[in-house]
Amino acid sequence: MRRQRRLVWAAVAMVMASLCIAALTGLFHSGIGVGWRNHLVAWRLIACCIGAVGVIFLGLAYHRLAGTVASIARQLSGDPAGLMDLQAIERAAQAVQTRLREGQEALRTLETELTDLRIRSQLADRQKQHTEAIIYSLRDAVVVVDEADRLLMANAAAARLFGFDPEQARHKPLAESINPGHEDFVQLIQSSRQSATEATRREMQFARPEGPHTFDTIVSCVFERNQVSGVVAVLHDITREKEVSQMKNDFVSHVSHELKTPLASITAYSEMLADGEADDEQTRKEFYEIIQTQAQRLNRLIEDILNVSRIESGLIKVQKEPVSLTILIEQQMQMIRGFAEEKKITVVGQNPIVYDQVLADKDMISQVIVNLLSNAVKYTPPGGTVRIKTEVNETEEVVRVTVTDTGVGIPADEVAHVFDKFYRVRANNKQASGTGLGLNLVKQIVEKVHDGRVFVTSEVGVGSTFGFELPLAAAELAGTAR
Amino acid sequence: MTGKKVLIADDEIHIIHVVAIKLRNNGYEVIAANNGAEAYELACSEHPDIVVTDYQMPFVTGIELIEKLRKNEATMHIPTILLTARSFAITQEMQDSLGVQECLSKPFSPKELLKTIEDILYQRAVAVKN
Repeated sequence: MRRQRRLVWAAVAMVMASLCIAALTGLFHSGIGVGWRNHLVAWRLIACCIGAVGVIFLGLAYHRLAGTVASIARQLSGDPAGLMDLQAIERAAQAVQTRLREGQEALRTLETELTDLRIRSQLADRQKQHTEAIIYSLRDAVVVVDEADRLLMANAAAARLFGFDPEQARHKPLAESINPGHEDFVQLIQSSRQSATEATRREMQFARPEGPHTFDTIVSCVFERNQVSGVVAVLHDITREKEVSQMKNDFVSHVSHELKTPLASITAYSEMLADGEADDEQTRKEFYEIIQTQAQRLNRLIEDILNVSRIESGLIKVQKEPVSLTILIEQQMQMIRGFAEEKKITVVGQNPIVYDQVLADKDMISQVIVNLLSNAVKYTPPGGTVRIKTEVNETEEVVRVTVTDTGVGIPADEVAHVFDKFYRVRANNKQASGTGLGLNLVKQIVEKVHDGRVFVTSEVGVGSTFGFELPLAAAELAGTAR
Repeated sequence: MTGKKVLIADDEIHIIHVVAIKLRNNGYEVIAANNGAEAYELACSEHPDIVVTDYQMPFVTGIELIEKLRKNEATMHIPTILLTARSFAITQEMQDSLGVQECLSKPFSPKELLKTIEDILYQRAVAVKN
């Protein structure tokens, strides 16, 4: 059909073109031998031909445009063969419009989903930052590496421990970033990754400026599709826990030793008595007395341990009241005098008759005074002197009690430890027996129960001065005590 | 009966006292020291047949005393008994490496100590004869 139409149009164009050529030929010939009338006819003919050719071209253009539109309509309406009529084209146009609306709807849905995704992404970012902030603020060191042991993340504690800048070290091999001395840690991470172990736990020791620190290290592999995609290591500093544990072990060991020592004497002498090894009455009496003194020693030791424990745990019953230290000292000097005279030691008191009242538990402070006095007498050779002095410092609003002896003294490197639990000055061990709890009890009672302070100065071969300070009762009641 | 010389080292005077009475009652000669340093000097000068020592003593501990005895040719063969309230701290390996014949825990039985001394000295005498 289209082909026939094209042939008709082509024929018309050819006729028009022939006429035009004929007119032009006529005009040419008229220019040579005919008059102006013939010229006019020829020009009209040419104008007609040009007009006709113009109409033909317009028709062709319209035809082509209509064909194109119809083709588009056919394509859109699923009728490429062009079998549809104009109504079909209209329907196709409607279909196009519907599709367009659907497209616009889909676009709006996509835009909503995109906004939703953006919000979710922001939330995820915030959550990530929050989680990272938590990890960064942890006191435990956290290190995360990828499947090639390159650093992905390290928190501040890890940066301090291993001595690197986490940002600069990011994506670099851990072995290159970490400070020397931590090779064991790198090896642990490598071996965990290679063996694909879910979690490995090991105690590791690293040198720190303040001394070696022990870390409980847990290394876990991260898996993706059954492949190790990274390793996470968490290092918890257990140095203090280990020290406490060691102190507990030492305490138990010390207590058992201290308890067993008098018990050993009691057991041995009892067995000797039971086996008739004490021949005479005097020997038997001697054995009985030893058993008695050792039993008392054992009881004293248990009391001391319990008192220290009660004070430390805050379970001891404290009854504070205004008491005069001068009077308490006088009473305790009377108690110690017999023991001092046996050793030919003079005990001198220099107590001022001034206001020296403190808010204190009378029994506890008496225990402090008697412990200091008996220690001074124990470690002073015969013929020596023990002086006890009370001073009131009104400026600082404290009462200071000092006990000075002319005893063996304490080596300088041991002075700082004399108030430690179970600490006994090695060099003075043979001077007298003791539990190593007396001075610790003094410290606990003065500092923990009465908010005072203890102090000591000593010189080997010259003597020692032990003392304590307590706030004046008036200052404590007025709330101005230090 | 035995005439054997026993060196006792302990910073607890009552322990020395009771062990000395038990051993003397059973025919032993007893020499005593309050600490490891003193005990080592006595071991060198008195050549005891056996040493009974406490673990925890001032200046030189029982372990240090035994180590010193083992290093000295004159005292290296003296059998030793460790008498200690810290027996939990003495492992068999430690005992073997120090060459300690026996380790007794405090509180202890003087009878058991006497028997241990007798057994060690008997084995030593048999070994010398063979």
